[in-house]
Amino acid sequence: MNDVAFVVPVYNEASVIGDVIADIRTVTPHVVCVNDGSRDGSAAAIVRAGGYLVDHPINMGQGAALQTGIEFARALPHIQRFVTFDADGQHLVADAVRMLDLLARGDLDIVLGSRFLGETIGAARGKKALLKAAVKFSNVTSGIRLTDAHNGLRAFNRHVAETMEITAPDMTHASEIIELIAANDYRYREVPVTIHYTDYSTSKGQASVNAINIAVDTLLRRVTRQ
Amino acid sequence: MIIVQFLLIGAFLFLFYVAIRSRTAHSVSASKKLLFVLLMAVLVVAVLAPDLVTVVANLVGVGRGTDLVLYLMAVSFGFYVVNDYLRGQDNRQQLHRLARRIAVLEALERYHIDHRDEADPEASDD
Repeated sequence: MNDVAFVVPVYNEASVIGDVIADIRTVTPHVVCVNDGSRDGSAAAIVRAGGYLVDHPINMGQGAALQTGIEFARALPHIQRFVTFDADGQHLVADAVRMLDLLARGDLDIVLGSRFLGETIGAARGKKALLKAAVKFSNVTSGIRLTDAHNGLRAFNRHVAETMEITAPDMTHASEIIELIAANDYRYREVPVTIHYTDYSTSKGQASVNAINIAVDTLLRRVTRQ
Repeated sequence: MIIVQFLLIGAFLFLFYVAIRSRTAHSVSASKKLLFVLLMAVLVVAVLAPDLVTVVANLVGVGRGTDLVLYLMAVSFGFYVVNDYLRGQDNRQQLHRLARRIAVLEALERYHIDHRDEADPEASDD
């Protein structure tokens, strides 16, 4: 899959990023890692594992890192399909490959991973309930029906990579991407994916309190955008 | 004129002077300047003639002039907070665009990728 680039936002993931890159490199050599101002050895680990290192001069948040990675990946020669992938090892490359195969058929612009169509290993019950509430909120505010609003695994074509501009810097970007799908009329589909919640990814993941921030930012974006 | 009036009006005039003289004042919209001038004028009147403020307060159904001034201040503060938040967001977005440009160009250089097409300014920039 030489026409595929994976975009991986990296923030203090030195201990796991090497394995994640090695995993991705079994399907494509193009692994774009955006080091978002990590204070550990993430940058060195990225270079060692053979990923492209794109270095943010300051910490700007996951959404900003995704946008940077997409812009760099667009400049790589012959890239037609893009995948966003988390750095902490909670996604499976096999799931991404299935999504890319779907995309290759050409009748979709973007394929989104969903935890709730698939299997979720090791998530606490409270976390599940919160994620479901987030989905309801997202469906109401965006007008798009999805079963999972905050899944980092996505695959999309060049049209989306060239027209989508993520402005939300932090975790709110997941909601923003869904709004952009609605605004730009991308042809989308959700597929079940497996999320592996390890102790590591749980401690690194967003605190559930952050849901309030996301909700407020989403509403403010609706009010302030034209 | 009692001392407190002198001090308060002096403070308002100083604020007014600083705001108008500021070198970045031209980038602030005219309506915001007008609102600011109006607010300063109302405050000066309120300090000089508290009874007049009470008359106005009674006209709009508020018992005391001080209450009316308090309400106006609360509303102004609300505007200030929202305005400041939005301006902060704009600044942040500009900073991020700049930092992103640096990161991408630096990486393209490092991997010897021809980037003449990508170096064009984004069409979607506002």
